[in-house]
Amino acid sequence: MTAHAFFFYFFSFIAVVSAIMVTVSRNTVHSVFFLILDFISISSLFIMIGAEFLGMIMLIVYVGAVAVLFLFVVMMLNVAKQENTWFKSSTNSAHIPIGLLVGIIIFFEVIIVIGGWKYKPDLTSKITLSDITNTHSIGNVLYTDYIHLFQLSGMVLLVAMIGAIVLTFRKRDGLKRQSYFKQLARERNDGVSLVEVKSNEGIKIDD
Amino acid sequence: MITDIYYVIPEIFLSLSLMFLLLLGVFKKEGSTIVYNLSLVFLIISIPLILNVPSNNTTLIFNDSYKIDYLSNFVKTLIIISTIFVLLTSSQYLKSIKIFNIEYPILILSSILGMMVMVSSNDLIVFYIGLELQSLALYVLASFNRDNILSSESGLKYFVLSALSSGLLLYGCSLVYGFSSSTNFSQIGFNYDQSIQGITFGMVFILVGLAFKISAVPFHMWAPDVYQGSPTSVTLFFAILPKIAALTVFIRFLYSPFLELIDQWQSIIIFLSIASMLFGAVAAIGQKNLKRLAAYSSISHMGYALAGLTTGTNQGIQSSILYISIYLVMNLALFSCILMLKKNNKYHESIEDLSGLSRNHPLLAFSLLVVLFSLAGIPPLAGFFAKFYVFAAVIEQSMFFLAIVGLMSTVVAAFYYLRIIKIIYFDKEAEKFDTDHNLGLKISLTITTILILIYFIYPNSLIDFVSKINLV
Repeated sequence: MTAHAFFFYFFSFIAVVSAIMVTVSRNTVHSVFFLILDFISISSLFIMIGAEFLGMIMLIVYVGAVAVLFLFVVMMLNVAKQENTWFKSSTNSAHIPIGLLVGIIIFFEVIIVIGGWKYKPDLTSKITLSDITNTHSIGNVLYTDYIHLFQLSGMVLLVAMIGAIVLTFRKRDGLKRQSYFKQLARERNDGVSLVEVKSNEGIKIDD
Repeated sequence: MITDIYYVIPEIFLSLSLMFLLLLGVFKKEGSTIVYNLSLVFLIISIPLILNVPSNNTTLIFNDSYKIDYLSNFVKTLIIISTIFVLLTSSQYLKSIKIFNIEYPILILSSILGMMVMVSSNDLIVFYIGLELQSLALYVLASFNRDNILSSESGLKYFVLSALSSGLLLYGCSLVYGFSSSTNFSQIGFNYDQSIQGITFGMVFILVGLAFKISAVPFHMWAPDVYQGSPTSVTLFFAILPKIAALTVFIRFLYSPFLELIDQWQSIIIFLSIASMLFGAVAAIGQKNLKRLAAYSSISHMGYALAGLTTGTNQGIQSSILYISIYLVMNLALFSCILMLKKNNKYHESIEDLSGLSRNHPLLAFSLLVVLFSLAGIPPLAGFFAKFYVFAAVIEQSMFFLAIVGLMSTVVAAFYYLRIIKIIYFDKEAEKFDTDHNLGLKISLTITTILILIYFIYPNSLIDFVSKINLV
């Protein structure tokens, strides 16, 4: 039980500190690093209370997709005109130490939580009474009790897609597009014509 | 489970027609006109579908998370009818500023789908998804005229501030769930005896989020900029529909899970109401843009609508619903007038453009006169009755301070309405406006003006409907 409490406070402390660091750090790339650390700590907390499905989804969706996307956007925008680029000036690069620090913390967290979850069952507290797993129990209610919410979420996503297209799609004139049907329907006669050429007169093409 | 579907036929019909219109718009070239007209037809069909749903008793469906009762059906019908009018008035405007795209009616439909879910919600999750569905469509609509810098700015501003308020609201929801161990409105009401502070804390956050949605002071900052920047037809939509939906959700929250906590929320709502009434009235005085003015006037009108909710009685709820119904008719009329101020295919929205309107366009000037008098609350127009019901309900509970402040701010508000009337009737005339308005705009202006004018002859027509709303 003490181990459980210890790790709970350990992860919560990292989560809170990195959440604060997201907002106070002046460098946007550092902010995204701390955001990733925050997500990972929270997903470890989820795994510790026995909600392994939520924890894994959190890892895949937030860390795997959202945060990495953020990182790409931030690096492309180059918001703060950061002077020290990644590997150019080895003397005063501020990114590498912080990146390493965050990476090491994440590594240990994953080792602790995955190891505990696999080999030491009493480290996580089970909240489900029956034997079925988290994924099973979510599947049981998602399409039955919460079907209306599931469908409505689909509508929300549809609206988000329409909105993104409305706000960004532009019809441009003078754009040459490939048309497969036109290409495939083209016959030999459309493209090639055989002309009798009289000697010493030549032929004029494109008249 | 299967019988539950019978009660949500209107919602299912709307979502199916929305998807059908989307497909039609994708595959048909130049299909904006037909999509627009078909969406009107689908909206008209959905009215009998809503009325067909039995509403005499409260029905809870989908594991008690969705509530069908008289209030929800009344508000849904109100939402559909006003959307029909909004679409009727705006087609010409959309064409002339070149945003007559297929996505416009589709986004409007999805937004009102979200509102219908909101007004029927009996569960925190259902409520939140409905809210997000409606506001996501509204963000896009606000910046629909994306080549206009004001429109994009208003969309972005609305999106950022609204996301912040959604965050606060979700925080409140999670607190309420944590302390009452249920997301269901009826369950929350049962469970909170032990932990009243925690629930109150969560409730305050939820109220903040909702107050943002109806732009009550002090959460009104976004309203003037968004109203001014969005295309006028979208502003009309903003001014009416989200407010009806959010006010109904206010009623649902305050009167089903939190009714026992009336001592806690009453003073909050009184503050919101008084601040909105006073601020809306005072800040509108210096405005030069009609749409900005409409924003401030809607802020103060929301104050009056909230005043009805402070009472904690059925009469208060009914007066609030009556107020918002009459408010939507008045706003429809006001914006129909604004949409008629067109000169050489350019729309004018500043108050000076109205100068001497009565000489060139006597009919338009007369409708504006009726609308502005009604907004100011001058008898015997409909706006007077709206305020009368609210103050009657407030005085019934002997909340004299609220009533006195409300009446005083009516007097202040009358100043700027009367100033516009003076500009219309007594200033020197400006250039003529175009008169080639389309039929829908003319029809909606005529109907709304007549409704405002003759309401006093037969006021029971609306009261009969509203008096069936009994929640307490």
